[in-house]
Amino acid sequence: MAPDPHLDSPPAGDWTVDELMIAVLASCFEDGDQACNGMASFLPVAALQLAKLTHAPDLVWLAGAVGLEPRPGPIPASTLEAPLWRDALMYVEQYGDFWTLALNGRWLQKFCVGAAQLDRFGNANNSVIGGDFHAPKVRLPGTAGLADMGSLGKQLYYWNPNHNPRSLVETVDFVSCAGYLGGGDERERLGLTGGPELVVTNLCVMDFEPDSKHMRLRSVHPDVTLEQVLDATGYEPVLPPGGVPVTPKPTAEQVRLIREVIDPHGMRHREFRRR
Amino acid sequence: MRVKQTTLAEAASLVSDGDTVALQNMATQAAPMAMVRELIRQGRRELGLVCLVGGIALDWLAAAGCMNRFIGNAVSMEQFGLAQHYRRGVESGRIRMEELSETALLARLGAGARNLPFLPTRGMIGTDLIDINENLTMLDDPFGGPPVVACRALVPDVALIHCHRADRHGNVQYEPTALWPDIGIMPKAARRVIVTTEQIVDSDVLRVNPDRTVLPGFVVDAVVEVPWGAHPTSFNPLYGYDAALHLAWAAAARSDDDVAAFLDSYVYGPADHDAYLTAVGGVERMAALARWETG
Repeated sequence: MAPDPHLDSPPAGDWTVDELMIAVLASCFEDGDQACNGMASFLPVAALQLAKLTHAPDLVWLAGAVGLEPRPGPIPASTLEAPLWRDALMYVEQYGDFWTLALNGRWLQKFCVGAAQLDRFGNANNSVIGGDFHAPKVRLPGTAGLADMGSLGKQLYYWNPNHNPRSLVETVDFVSCAGYLGGGDERERLGLTGGPELVVTNLCVMDFEPDSKHMRLRSVHPDVTLEQVLDATGYEPVLPPGGVPVTPKPTAEQVRLIREVIDPHGMRHREFRRR
Repeated sequence: MRVKQTTLAEAASLVSDGDTVALQNMATQAAPMAMVRELIRQGRRELGLVCLVGGIALDWLAAAGCMNRFIGNAVSMEQFGLAQHYRRGVESGRIRMEELSETALLARLGAGARNLPFLPTRGMIGTDLIDINENLTMLDDPFGGPPVVACRALVPDVALIHCHRADRHGNVQYEPTALWPDIGIMPKAARRVIVTTEQIVDSDVLRVNPDRTVLPGFVVDAVVEVPWGAHPTSFNPLYGYDAALHLAWAAAARSDDDVAAFLDSYVYGPADHDAYLTAVGGVERMAALARWETG
């Protein structure tokens, strides 16, 4: 690959964790991919735009699963309203077009997933916590497209800006998006391909151990300790042999693009719970 | 062609207590809110709602005690948070939610529209959604491939739709904008269809751009002219969502007294749709929303 002036820019001296998460998510997308976003998805939208402005200019963005390749302005207050898909090349009708394209298997093969609960095998829950399904302790918004994306051979990229033991749990209360289910080859035995690839949180990056499908710590963010990650996780992630690497900082150019071009109004900060 | 034009009050009489009502709505977008308020004012009870992503409409219906079940993908007001009354309704067992993936809801409605017993999807395999739902079941591929999920046909009693323009016969046109499946499939699955429209026009106006006609009048039972009829949700390209009213609702939803006051001010109080528009800020406010100044 030719040198990329954006990625080859020096690490930023001044960066924040939202920008680091966006840079990690952006690195998951390549030229030739197509990707869409759902609602309340500021980090994925920023990441897709960052990828397009740097290493993946031919990445195709289907904004809100509606607007093909819009002319992006600053990220608006909603990632599922018309300002996001301003000046699109096409309005993709959701029933006839979007789901046909997504179900086909050739296109839209990567999908960013946000979920209230995620477990050690990458199963996600946006449905209910505690109690009976029909009288739960907490009713979450609902699975929407996630229950499809998890079973359709897509590569799933989870993002979680609020890494804590309640959101990263040993076992989800309800599987509303299929990850590796009980681990091992259970997903394959059901005839499912694809599956969770990466988990990007405000503390670390995790992937999945190839055989057991247990979540595995891939890197810990700068200024975060391994103990902090383990304390904030409701299970013990597999640790890589020979120590845990540090997540690369975003480059100075990536940070500039996020702050000045992609999200000057700072919508990305809305995803982080106030502490 | 028959004339279907009527009033909100008359059209609402097509919705009975206990009906399953398919409601156009995508979070903060495109809900036939004037029709929803009319149903609340008329005191409908035990409605089942069907939405892709239900928003403030569902929370008002839940708060007013009009609904006891929901079939759909999700309920959320996106940036304005969860629909708290709907949520508490489900948590207390007063509202029963049939949670479906997007392809499953579209399969259920598609089967209903096409008079099929079911349509299959490959979504949801491996999730817990299938076992708890009597309308979903695993099905072997008769041609020898991997199994699929059969999604039982859903035929709502009535569909509520909002559009940019229609003629008196109920032929429905949309301006170029996002086309969600609720306009494409819900009205064809439902036994009755009520359309509210920003504008009733002469049929000759529709003939200028027949490619923008998305629903033939013969499937429609009633059409009502209601400018700003989706407020406080957005109706692109005509107007944006009303962030202030969504925020006011989200704040009021925390206390029963505030909910009652809110519903009195904006749902029960205003004598008609014009009075509602005055209550939410009148011409000046609508002009701002038309410029997508949503805050």
